[in-house]
Amino acid sequence: MDKKLKDLKKQYEEVPIPKELDFVVENALKQSNKKKKNRTPHWLLGTAAAAMLFTASLNVSPAMARTLSEIPVVGSVVKVLTWTEYEVADDTYEANIKVPSIENLENQKLANTLNEKYRAEGKALYDEFIADVGDIKANGGGHYGVDSGYDIKTDNDQILSIGRYIVNTVGSSSTVMHYDTIDKQNEILITLPMLFKDDSYIRVISDNIKEQMREQIATSNEEKIYWVKGAGLPDEDLMDDFKAIDADQQFYISDKGKLIISFDKYEVAPGYMGVVEFEIPTDVLQNSLVSNQYIH
Amino acid sequence: MKTRNAFQHEEVFVQLIREQKERFYLLAYSYTKNEQDALDIVQDSIQKAMLSLDRLEHVDYMKSWFYKIVVRTAIDFLRKHNRLQVTDDDTLQYLTPAQEDIYEDIDLEHALEELPQMYREVVILHYFEDLKLADVASILDIKLSTAKSRLYKALKLLKIQLQDGKGETAHG
Repeated sequence: MDKKLKDLKKQYEEVPIPKELDFVVENALKQSNKKKKNRTPHWLLGTAAAAMLFTASLNVSPAMARTLSEIPVVGSVVKVLTWTEYEVADDTYEANIKVPSIENLENQKLANTLNEKYRAEGKALYDEFIADVGDIKANGGGHYGVDSGYDIKTDNDQILSIGRYIVNTVGSSSTVMHYDTIDKQNEILITLPMLFKDDSYIRVISDNIKEQMREQIATSNEEKIYWVKGAGLPDEDLMDDFKAIDADQQFYISDKGKLIISFDKYEVAPGYMGVVEFEIPTDVLQNSLVSNQYIH
Repeated sequence: MKTRNAFQHEEVFVQLIREQKERFYLLAYSYTKNEQDALDIVQDSIQKAMLSLDRLEHVDYMKSWFYKIVVRTAIDFLRKHNRLQVTDDDTLQYLTPAQEDIYEDIDLEHALEELPQMYREVVILHYFEDLKLADVASILDIKLSTAKSRLYKALKLLKIQLQDGKGETAHG
């Protein structure tokens, strides 16, 4: 290497390393783990991804929901309780799995379907955790955690929306969330397609979300980033830009009767944005809605 | 299995950070020129990296992947604190001849510091951190040809002759 370059390199390396560096680094390595665990109550803000996908979702079956909706029932006091908890607390392995249970639904078929789904998933999660811990121990040990539970998004006279989450902590965390929204008066499970007259809602909602994304990117001075075209982001950053929601995109209905569309981490934005939600203004949806019974 | 990958990545990552933390600190410092800010950048970078470790496809890419996080975090930091002047290419080209004059009498003592950031970072990553130019380009999110021309320009500004043949041609 050129003599000058060597001298420059020496100079570059002569910058004194502060004593605090060790501390800062070790702390950051530790905190990253801890932070994730502490953050679980605010899981909406910071987490969610697609490591373990909930399968067999009732939500994806509009036909089933429609069948259920044909059974007329009188409204009742619907509650959500924690049915069971799995807990493991080892030094380095932790599991905390809360399984919700919906009570007092007159529509037993709906209640059983949901509760059985929740229980089966809770059990599967626990079994998987035990198997993974075995794997990790065989590989020399390490930290591993699973935290799962539920969050009531909306609970009013008409609507019950439950969001369930799973946080996996293995160095970095991943979270998966899944919503079920129930009409408490008619005791039916609400799906996204059944709210609308036809498929046109997919385009209407997607266009509105893109608009909101571009606006947020602009007003936040690119602090907030979504993978969307037309917001001035370089094309090479947009390998997989957001085009449209799925027909059965995750959603819930807010207490004020607004439609909230939810995306998992990485689905439409960089990881640091976490789970993102968009409230769709009702007037945008008005022409597509079957009625204003739920969304108003 | 996904979780196991992430788990193995974590082990490698912790080791990489512990071994190379001083290199990462120096790189951060080359942007901030300030101890406390450089420490903050190292800390933020580690935390960001831990959060997206499961997205890393292969441990082989980990080192340049982490360099990229450090560089981005540093640049974000400078941008937030308005210490970074973003200039488009046209303006740069227009300004470049004048800059050459300014740096003509550069003395070695402050040569590196006075080099504009876009040239300095290429020199640091390529010569001091021994990264291939292709990796440097990917870390800085620029084209390989841009990296080459910046390196060339940087050496010119530093008045360094490429006698030993190490440089853009060796890695091109």
